[in-house]
Amino acid sequence: MAYSDKVIDHYNNPRNVGSFDKGDADVGTGIVGAPECGDVMKLQLRINPESRVIEDARFKTFGCGSAIASSSYVTELVKGKHIEEAMTIKNTVIVQELNLPPVKIHCSVLAEDAIKAAIGDWKKQHEDARPSAEPRKAQEG
Amino acid sequence: MVTCPSCVRTQPLALVCAGCGAPIGASVDLFAALNLPRRLTIDPEALERAYHNLSRRIHPDRFGSASVRIRDASLRATALLTRAYRTLRDPAARGRYWLELHGHKLGDDNQRVPANLAALVFETQERLAELRDERTPGNLAAARARREEVARALDAAGLELAENFARWDADGVATADGEHAARFAELKAVLSKIAYLTTLHRDIDRELETARAA
Repeated sequence: MAYSDKVIDHYNNPRNVGSFDKGDADVGTGIVGAPECGDVMKLQLRINPESRVIEDARFKTFGCGSAIASSSYVTELVKGKHIEEAMTIKNTVIVQELNLPPVKIHCSVLAEDAIKAAIGDWKKQHEDARPSAEPRKAQEG
Repeated sequence: MVTCPSCVRTQPLALVCAGCGAPIGASVDLFAALNLPRRLTIDPEALERAYHNLSRRIHPDRFGSASVRIRDASLRATALLTRAYRTLRDPAARGRYWLELHGHKLGDDNQRVPANLAALVFETQERLAELRDERTPGNLAAARARREEVARALDAAGLELAENFARWDADGVATADGEHAARFAELKAVLSKIAYLTTLHRDIDRELETARAA
């Protein structure tokens, strides 16, 4: 199967590979997988708690070229977006940008799901951390 | 209904004729193709026997001088029999076929990877990256230890799958809908786990192979 130039570019020069510190409270982590092929994708988003804007993103994907390219592309796509806007990103955007063939559409679905999972994880932490509207107290010591 | 091209007896869809035993090659499910009951627990020896017996009876070599219709039937029946054998002899493939047979897809609503499995995947892949960077005896030993761990996890998942199969076989379609849904979810979960572990095991093998070749 022939990969598009954009897939090859993202595969050879993946953007934003790596991880953020697990302990960083502003980071949401989404781990998703495609059980048909065994690919696993981790997407981390650093989200500003005040503006709720995604300031940075990292990914690690173990899978085929299309899965790596899809996750690399979404790290660029989500940066600077408000989380509610990022939640509306559809896999079809990824399919079009990377010119994915029908057999690789599930890779783009995986990347879309990773965004939702990462934001969901961040929201869960922040709602747990701030059950009331009161300002957070310093938790030193 | 279908008509046998050899003895022209009309009968329900079948791989081989109930009357003369010649190939018909009608499209039947993979259990029926092997003449096995629709049960998930399969005795490997019974499967082998069924496959070899049927294979001999319908093999295209036996029908070289027969009519075009009979030769076609032999080819269709042989292709279906081979697919049935390859699918049903592998428990994970059999489980996936069971989902398909009941209108389920492994990937539907099933993209979250359990945390402990994700941790195993990422930690193992990090060890493999270290081995790629530096082929030290320590890194090699770490990768081999991971392979053992993944192999053990695969064995455990295989047992879980066998238990799920046994529950289907015990009360099959008579189960209430709610319980059915839970059992399908459980089947999907264990098949997914096997898929992730199998991919991981393959990646470790490749990396160890590369390290050995270097």
